[in-house]
Amino acid sequence: MSIIQIILIALFVYLGSIGSIVGNTIGWYTLGRPLVAAFVVGVILGDIQTAMVVGIPLQIMYMGNVTPGGAVAWDLSYATYIGVAAAIVFGQGMDATGAIGLAVVFAGIGGLVGQVMWNLSYALNLPLNRFAANYAEAGETKKMIIPNVVMGQAIGFLCRFVPAVLVLTSMTAASGQADFATLIPGWVTTALSIFGGMMASLGMGIILSFLLKKKYHIVIFLAGFILVTYFGLSTMAVAVVAIITAILYYVAASSQADRKGA
Amino acid sequence: MAKKISEKTLKKSFRTWFFWNGCSQQAESMLGMAFGQAMAPVIDELYDTQEEKAAALQRHITLFNTEAQVGSICNGIVCGLEEANANGQCTPELISSVKVALIGPTSAIGDSLWVATIIPILLTICLSISQASANMLWLGPVIYMLVYPIGTAALSWFLFKLGYKSGLEGMQTFMATGRLNLLTDTMTVLGLIVVGALTASFVSCTLPIQIVKDVYDATTNTILESQVLFNADSVLNSIFPQILPLSLTLGVYGLYAKKKWSPLKLMGLILVLACLLTFVGYATGFYA
Repeated sequence: MSIIQIILIALFVYLGSIGSIVGNTIGWYTLGRPLVAAFVVGVILGDIQTAMVVGIPLQIMYMGNVTPGGAVAWDLSYATYIGVAAAIVFGQGMDATGAIGLAVVFAGIGGLVGQVMWNLSYALNLPLNRFAANYAEAGETKKMIIPNVVMGQAIGFLCRFVPAVLVLTSMTAASGQADFATLIPGWVTTALSIFGGMMASLGMGIILSFLLKKKYHIVIFLAGFILVTYFGLSTMAVAVVAIITAILYYVAASSQADRKGA
Repeated sequence: MAKKISEKTLKKSFRTWFFWNGCSQQAESMLGMAFGQAMAPVIDELYDTQEEKAAALQRHITLFNTEAQVGSICNGIVCGLEEANANGQCTPELISSVKVALIGPTSAIGDSLWVATIIPILLTICLSISQASANMLWLGPVIYMLVYPIGTAALSWFLFKLGYKSGLEGMQTFMATGRLNLLTDTMTVLGLIVVGALTASFVSCTLPIQIVKDVYDATTNTILESQVLFNADSVLNSIFPQILPLSLTLGVYGLYAKKKWSPLKLMGLILVLACLLTFVGYATGFYA
């Protein structure tokens, strides 16, 4: 990675983290999603194909990682930007499963850094309340931007951008030292790809915990499952079937609700 | 003359909230400072003396938390209440207690409906779009990058205005119509089918046990080397295709939802299982 590429990726790590300057809707919930992050890294490093091949499984794995206030709060942007960049930098000459395995491991490392940095910024933001209280006491409406945005973002930027630059730079330095595709023994690649494939169940399991609200819901989940396994449909085809089913469900349920209301 | 917040100020307040609601999040006041900053232009317009401004700012930098995108309805409601207060029709105590009361329901709706349902469903649809063709892998993220922020911004601004115009009654009617529940149920049906398909396509787990022997073929009088006599994985899959990925996913779901395991703990469990399966696979010659 060139210096400009490192800086750009680190900048996006910051933008995609919780509470960046562009807001959580554009930042955390869009740029921070692995699907989008992989695309951005692909554009920056000029290899959209590889980026997306590893980005899609990462997105499945981290599908359940959505709520900043919830139990799974960490800066996901670290995990994916660094994971995808690692797959492109170290995965030269590897097949798809090997590259995905690499991405999973580096996403784990990035995720740990992200968790530490999230807790750090959460603690460093605390004293800002004193500044806000002082400005409020003086009725300085124009200065409320100072504690919230100026100071809050200085902390946020330092906690995200700087560590990301360090991690990405050391990755670049390491990749120049050796050819990793030949260095990593075969059984490690096998273990990594098995791990990657199984990790997808984590994202799906957490999503199911949001969606399964009634007992019979499990049958609807199974319907989607067997459309792929028995009927051999692609996920896109199943998505179309799902949309049709949802519309029919809505029409049926709302006409039933109307009848009850009348 | 009755005081009124201009459209321009409302937009400014909304923009401040929409972009900077999470800028200074911490454990003491959560999104309090961001709420205070978003209220600043409104306070500036409604109150004249420095004392009034100070009092208003001070009550808005206190603890506040919500799911900020759907929670913009709180900002709208509070803007309406501040306007009433400036006209002497409301009290600061009422504003503060309404604010605190709004934290629970708006967080619940925002987190469960928007964040935990809409985002994953939109992501799964975009994933399927990317999956549809190897040359169009970029299409999914591009669609997500357009649809999600624009749609959310529109909803957020709509809820902000709804809160400002119709206040608490507006929120009650919005929550009580039953349409919201129906919409959630519909999205759940959609989501479950797609998640089922994604589970089938992406979760992989094989039972790497096989018996390989050299077989003597009597008809040709030769020894056929390394014939697979028994493959546990294909036996399982002939009973129910992909039964292992399905059981793994449901198992993870059970541990996460029912036993309250943390994602990190589950990740550790999966790592151990993966190492175990790799070892078994090499031991039985499944992976060469």
